[in-house]
Amino acid sequence: MPPLAAFILKRLGRAVLTMWFAITVTFLLLRLLPGDPAVAVASTNMDAGMRHQLLKEYGLTQPLFTQYVKYLDQLLHGNLGQSFTQSQPVSSVLMARLPWTLLLTGSALVLTVLVGVPLGVIAATHAGAAMDRLVQTAGVVGQSLFVPSVGIFLLFFLGLRLKLLPIGGAYDENAYGAGWYLSVLQHLALPCLSLVLVSLGSYVLTMRATLIDSLGEEYCLLARSKGVSERTVVWRHALRNALLPTTTLLGLQLGFLVGGAVLTETIFAYPGVGRAIYEAVTQLDYPVLQGSFVLLAGTVVLANMLTDLAYGLLDARVRTA
Amino acid sequence: MPILRTTVSLLAAATLAVTVAACAPSKKQSNSNASGNDATLTIASTTDVVNLNPLLGNSRTDDWVTDLMYPRLLTINADGSKQPYLAKEWGYTNGGMTGYFVLRSDFKWSDGTPVTAKDVAYTLNTIKTQNPKGGVVNGFMTNMVKATAVSDTRVEISMKRPDSILVPEVGFWTVIVPAEQFGQHNPVDQFTNSSNWLSAGPYKLTSIVKGQSYTLTRVTPYPMAPGGTPTVSKVVYKIYPDVNTEILALEKGDVDVIANALPPAQVAVLQKQSGITLEKVPGLGFTHMTYNMKRKPLDNVLVRQALAHAVDYNAIRNVAVQGQAISANSSPITPSLAKYADPSWKEYTYDPTLSKQLLQQAGVHNLKLNMIYSMQDPVIAAWATIVKDDAAKAGITINLQGMDRNTYLAKTTSGDYDIYAGSFAIMDEPVSNMALQYLPDGAINYSQVNDPKLTSLIEQAQGTTDQSKIKSLVQQAATYVRDNVIDNIMYVQNLYVAHSSKWTNFTIKPSELLSIVDPQSLANVKKSG
Repeated sequence: MPPLAAFILKRLGRAVLTMWFAITVTFLLLRLLPGDPAVAVASTNMDAGMRHQLLKEYGLTQPLFTQYVKYLDQLLHGNLGQSFTQSQPVSSVLMARLPWTLLLTGSALVLTVLVGVPLGVIAATHAGAAMDRLVQTAGVVGQSLFVPSVGIFLLFFLGLRLKLLPIGGAYDENAYGAGWYLSVLQHLALPCLSLVLVSLGSYVLTMRATLIDSLGEEYCLLARSKGVSERTVVWRHALRNALLPTTTLLGLQLGFLVGGAVLTETIFAYPGVGRAIYEAVTQLDYPVLQGSFVLLAGTVVLANMLTDLAYGLLDARVRTA
Repeated sequence: MPILRTTVSLLAAATLAVTVAACAPSKKQSNSNASGNDATLTIASTTDVVNLNPLLGNSRTDDWVTDLMYPRLLTINADGSKQPYLAKEWGYTNGGMTGYFVLRSDFKWSDGTPVTAKDVAYTLNTIKTQNPKGGVVNGFMTNMVKATAVSDTRVEISMKRPDSILVPEVGFWTVIVPAEQFGQHNPVDQFTNSSNWLSAGPYKLTSIVKGQSYTLTRVTPYPMAPGGTPTVSKVVYKIYPDVNTEILALEKGDVDVIANALPPAQVAVLQKQSGITLEKVPGLGFTHMTYNMKRKPLDNVLVRQALAHAVDYNAIRNVAVQGQAISANSSPITPSLAKYADPSWKEYTYDPTLSKQLLQQAGVHNLKLNMIYSMQDPVIAAWATIVKDDAAKAGITINLQGMDRNTYLAKTTSGDYDIYAGSFAIMDEPVSNMALQYLPDGAINYSQVNDPKLTSLIEQAQGTTDQSKIKSLVQQAATYVRDNVIDNIMYVQNLYVAHSSKWTNFTIKPSELLSIVDPQSLANVKKSG
């Protein structure tokens, strides 16, 4: 088998295994939570008989292994199940929300790269100077930020005081046509900025450190000795190599952003999957929770697999490793 | 370059997401028949709509939205007394063996068909036979046999035995749904009611942005609005899961009303804010601690009395609830239920010395107990430490166990606690509430009490429709509960909701369930300026 095909197969196998692991752990963890969906309904008139009947309807009185096998079978048939509380297929519940989460996390990731790379380069090329110290301090501060506090600050300052951006929601219900797209961007701005601020720090600091290492490598010295301009050394030679570790970080950050979406979407009243998770947790709506985690785990696994494959295509050593 | 590829891929993903997110909606045709005040009232809530089938019990916002479309038979006043709504008369005949409701004849569904006794009988029989999940009404129907529409405006309920709870509780808690539409779905709790809505209320759902907003438009005629026309053309519910974001939206003017109760700390802040009006919503429930009487030594009345005297109730009301609560006089019949309350009831005094003496009398030393409460209730979480510190002064050690709501509910259901702290939102009907709380098989019998004398008093009150007898029996039962510390009722919290001062003429109803957003209020509200 050609090395590239073997490499792709191996990565696909790993992705499938990771997904199975995520699905199994999610399934078991939810059932380890105290209480059950019937208790979460918390009706003051629900006696033991009614509670048992409800659990039976939900299929939760069957042995755990039977529930697990049925669930895997459902998933293999592309069925995420039926929401306990919303009486709708989980796929319908989540598909109404997923585009907003993809939009939010996707744009946050793009902005993190677009802002993070130049800042990392500036810091690395001015190592030890005031500019570097400034970027480093900002990076460390950024790493210590917490979504809710950043979110409330942005909402208060840019939303309420300066009235520049809307508070909450994904778009204005009265906007149509081109105005609707503008409204989507306006509503996206604050939650996206919030996610960028909390994820930018680690990206910039990693970029700076790896680029400083690269700039000290022999191939950079050789380029300089051949009279290549410093700008070309940095952007053409050193940055290419420095980007590999930061690409890995980007894959990892996708997981962080997806996790952060729960808090971000709650604070900014943004109607994505994160909000659906928050609501399903309070109601112990297992199918929605399981479906959300499958979807989000799938997104992260897919992104990481694509990153791995990109790595393999870019660097022959990775394919044979 | 990898950076270029990554960026391009991500941009492509984001672009795809934008495209998938939705195509820009096109403007809908506006209603050319709109008349009167064309303002839109925007209401904020912290909980999203879970299910629009009003026969199920899910979130508070579900109730607010569906209440605007499906009428209740009865509504309530601040003292818990029942008032006419869809039903103009109600009561019992046939020696208490038949309950009845007489309906108004001027309510219509939005398709023009009248709301009749058939809709009411269908709703009641469906709840009785199918017991939709999470609904509370079925629990009041133990003695109901069947509901029958004897005419277009009269429904009769045949009963197994006289039951004073049935008519008022079913009347208040049931929302009437159109038999024609809901009858096509069996079992009814699988019906999501997510489109083609019919409304017999002042407004009807017209669009939903899941997780974001629910828009209702005016329905005419609505008999309880001035001239049959609700005063605003649209009511929009917007969801802000975080209360701080919700308050910022009100301050900015993005929303006109905050429908959920504000945390006590925010009340003081918003009271000083110009352009915002706070409304006090009288509480009709209570906050209490119960002592698990199945566990020793809590089965000893002296120990329970010692615990009751080891709490500084005034400090709790003034500090944790910031003065926004009144004493319940340590009785399950709180002053809110003026018709039943006995003015001679007095709150347990805070007296650690007396507590120590009572424990000594009981022969109990080094009493150590755990207390469970939900961390989702910030007020209780705030006073739990006061209870712990006060008890320590009486030599009692209380181990606080604040936990997430579902763990708390699981522990409550299994009786796994010494002391339970919690709240009830609406305790509108004393007999019904006492039956749920103090009968051995009561669904919310958190004291785990099984006392023949108390059971007898409650069952006697349940089995008569004579109001003076009911009052006497209820008072005896409440006195018994108080004297024996079967339940430690601590306070009635008055709730506060906020709205823009531009809006006036809200009707204030008790409890968060109705507050200022019940149909009659929203059909009459006005915008000035």
